[in-house]
Amino acid sequence: MFWHSYKYSLKALLKNRMMVFWTVAFPFILALFFNMAFARLHDFDVFEPFDIAVVNDEEYKKDEIFDTAFKTLGEGDERLFNIELSDMEHAEELLNDGKIDGYVYAKGDKKEIKIKENGTNQTVLKMAVEQVSQSAKMIDDIALSEIAKNAGQMVDISAIYQNAVKIVSETEPNIKDESHVMNMVSVEFFSLIAMACMQGAMLSCEMMNRCMPNITNRGKRVAVAPTRKGVIVSSNLLAGYTLLFISLIALIFFTRYILGVEYGDNIPLICLLAALGSLTATMLGMFLSVILKTRESAKNVIVVLVTMVGSLFAGMFGGMKLFFDELLPFVNKISPVGLITDGYYSLYYYEDLTRFWINAGTLVLISAILFVLSIKSLRRQRYDSI
Amino acid sequence: MKNVIEVKHLTKSYKNNKAVDDLSFNVQEGEILGLLGPNGSGKSTTMNCILSLLNFQDGKIKIFGKEMAPDAYDIKSKIGVVFQDVAVFDELTVYGNIDYFCGLYIDDKKMRERYVDDALKLVGLEDNKSQYPKQLSGGLLRRLNIACGIAHKPSLIFLDEPTVAVDPQSRNNILEGIKKLRDDGATIVYTTHYMEEVEILCDRVIILDHGKIIASGTNDELKALAKIEEKVTVEVADLAPNQLSGFEKIKNVSEVEYDNGVLKISYSKGKNNLIDMIEYLKTNKINYKKIFAERPTLNDVFLELTGKDLRD
Repeated sequence: MFWHSYKYSLKALLKNRMMVFWTVAFPFILALFFNMAFARLHDFDVFEPFDIAVVNDEEYKKDEIFDTAFKTLGEGDERLFNIELSDMEHAEELLNDGKIDGYVYAKGDKKEIKIKENGTNQTVLKMAVEQVSQSAKMIDDIALSEIAKNAGQMVDISAIYQNAVKIVSETEPNIKDESHVMNMVSVEFFSLIAMACMQGAMLSCEMMNRCMPNITNRGKRVAVAPTRKGVIVSSNLLAGYTLLFISLIALIFFTRYILGVEYGDNIPLICLLAALGSLTATMLGMFLSVILKTRESAKNVIVVLVTMVGSLFAGMFGGMKLFFDELLPFVNKISPVGLITDGYYSLYYYEDLTRFWINAGTLVLISAILFVLSIKSLRRQRYDSI
Repeated sequence: MKNVIEVKHLTKSYKNNKAVDDLSFNVQEGEILGLLGPNGSGKSTTMNCILSLLNFQDGKIKIFGKEMAPDAYDIKSKIGVVFQDVAVFDELTVYGNIDYFCGLYIDDKKMRERYVDDALKLVGLEDNKSQYPKQLSGGLLRRLNIACGIAHKPSLIFLDEPTVAVDPQSRNNILEGIKKLRDDGATIVYTTHYMEEVEILCDRVIILDHGKIIASGTNDELKALAKIEEKVTVEVADLAPNQLSGFEKIKNVSEVEYDNGVLKISYSKGKNNLIDMIEYLKTNKINYKKIFAERPTLNDVFLELTGKDLRD
C-alpha cells in the first residue's frame, strides 16, 4: 500500500507543472541568472583585503588576547583586512564616508561590529570577530584554570598563556585561507541552495493537503479508505522529498561542475546539509498545513511567505543576513534557511566541522519537533467540519 | 433482512445550528435507500458522520453490526464512497486515478487490473482510459468520480448527489450503473435532491428537512401521505369566473388553480379522472389545447409536509 501510494503520488507530482517549476526549474533558472550576474567576479579570484577600523580605546585594550589575535589578521601579505586604529568618532566618520566596510569596538567584555551595508566583506568581518572572540575566551579560560590549579605556588603566567594559545590554535577552528573568504559567488550560491531546500515546505504542504479531508476532496476519499493515515501521509511526503532531494543534488552538481562554482572540497557534506535542510522544510510545510485552519490556497500563500521571510533573514535577497543577525539574532539561530546558509558558510570557512554539525543537528532537532507536533495534531481522526 | 447500517439518535451541531437532529434509521442489506431533502437538510452531514469523517455530539452508528470508527479499517474496506464534488487527480489519467484509489483497498495487482477494467466498463469510460480529467466533459468526469469510488467492489456504497450538473446521457448511464451495482448485491445509500431519481432508483426513501426525518417509507407509502391522488393539467386560453367555480364542484376535486392559461386540478381520490375531465370540458364547451394527468410526486409529499418545495 505504501509503495502504491508513493508511486502514484510521485507520478502525480511530476506532472504537476507548477510544483515542478518552483521546486526544480526555478532554482536552476536562478542559478543561471546568478552565473551570468557573477560571471565577471570570476576574474577577481585574487583576494583583496578590505579596510576596517578598530576603536582602540581603553576598554578595547583591556582584552589583550583578542587585540593581539585580531591584529594578526591584518598583518602580512595574506591579511584579511587593512586595520586602522582609531577612536570611536573617527571610526564612525570613516564608516559614514564609505572609507571602511565596518569597525570593531569593545562593549563591556564583548566585541561588537558596526557596519553600514550588508555584503561579503561585512560577513567576513563578523565571522572573524566571532572566531577571534571565541578563541580568546578559550585561551583565557584555559589559562585561568591552570593558574587556579597552581594556587599558592609561583607560576609563570606568560608561559601559561603561551601554552593556552598553543592548545587553542591546535584545537579551535580557524578561518581558512583568504581565497575562501573572498568567494562572494559561493556565498550567493549557498543561499540559493538554502532557498531551494525551502521549496520543500511548499511541496509538503501541497502533499499534505491531498491527504486532509477538511481541505481537499481527494483527502476525503483517502480518509474513507482502509489505509492508515500514517501510510498515506508518509508516502506522500516521501514522494515530495524524493523530488526535492534529487533536484537539490542535481542543482549542487550542476552549479559545481557545469557552472564551476567553488564549494570547497566537502561536496558530500554539502549534499548532507541539503538533505537535512530539505527535511526540515518538508516538516515545516507539514506542520503549517496541519495547524493552519484555512483554505488550501491561503495555506499555500502563508507557506510561501514564511519561507520567503526566512530566506530574507538568511541573506538570500541582497545580503541582509548581518542586518537581521544584529536586529533579531535569535531568528537565524532557529530559522531553517539561516541554519542551512550558516552551515554552508562554516563548512566553507572553517577547517573544524563543529559549527557545521551544530547547524546540522539543530536542523534535525527542528525537524523532529515539527514532526511530533504535526503528528499530534494529525492523530485527531474526525473533523468538526469538512 | 439484515441491517447493514444502524443509526441511533445521531445529533450533529455546528455552533448553535443543529445540522442533524436526533436521527435514527436503518439501511437493509441489498436495498437502495434514498436520503432526499433540499440543500442544507443534513443529507451530506449525515453521510459524513456515518463515515466517521465528522465529529458528532450524540448518537451511535453501526455498520455491518460493528461500531463505526475512524480506524475501523475492516468496515472501511467494504465501503465505497462517491462524494458530491469530483475528487480525482488532474495529473493522473482516467485509468491511473481508478487504479490509485482502488489500490488503497486492493493489494493484489492482477485483481486490481480486473477491477479497474470492470469499473471502466460499468461507467462507460473504456475509450477514455488514457485521457486526463481535464480532457473529459462534466458528465464523463462524474462517471470517473463514481468509478474511483466503487472500483474495489464494495458491498456498501454511499453516493452523494452523483448526478449534479450532469448531461442526460451521463445521468442515464450513472443511474443504470447504480442499478447494476444493486443487482450485483451492493447496498446503496443515495443522497439527492432530485426526486425523480429517487422514484426511479430507491427501494426506500427517507425525507429530511432541517436535519430531521419528516417521512420515510417506500415511494408508494410516501405518496399516500399526500392529500392528492391525481393531478390533471389543462391548457385553457380563456376561462370565465363561473366556469372556474364549476370545476371546484366536480367530485373528488380538492383544489383548483388557474394561472396564465394553465388550469391545475387536484383530486383527493381516484386514478382515472382524465376521462371524466375531458367529458366535463366537452359538455361545458370549454376549448382546451393540451390535457394530461399526473400521479403525485415526492415533491408533493414534501410540499404537503413542510409547506415548501424540495428545490427551495
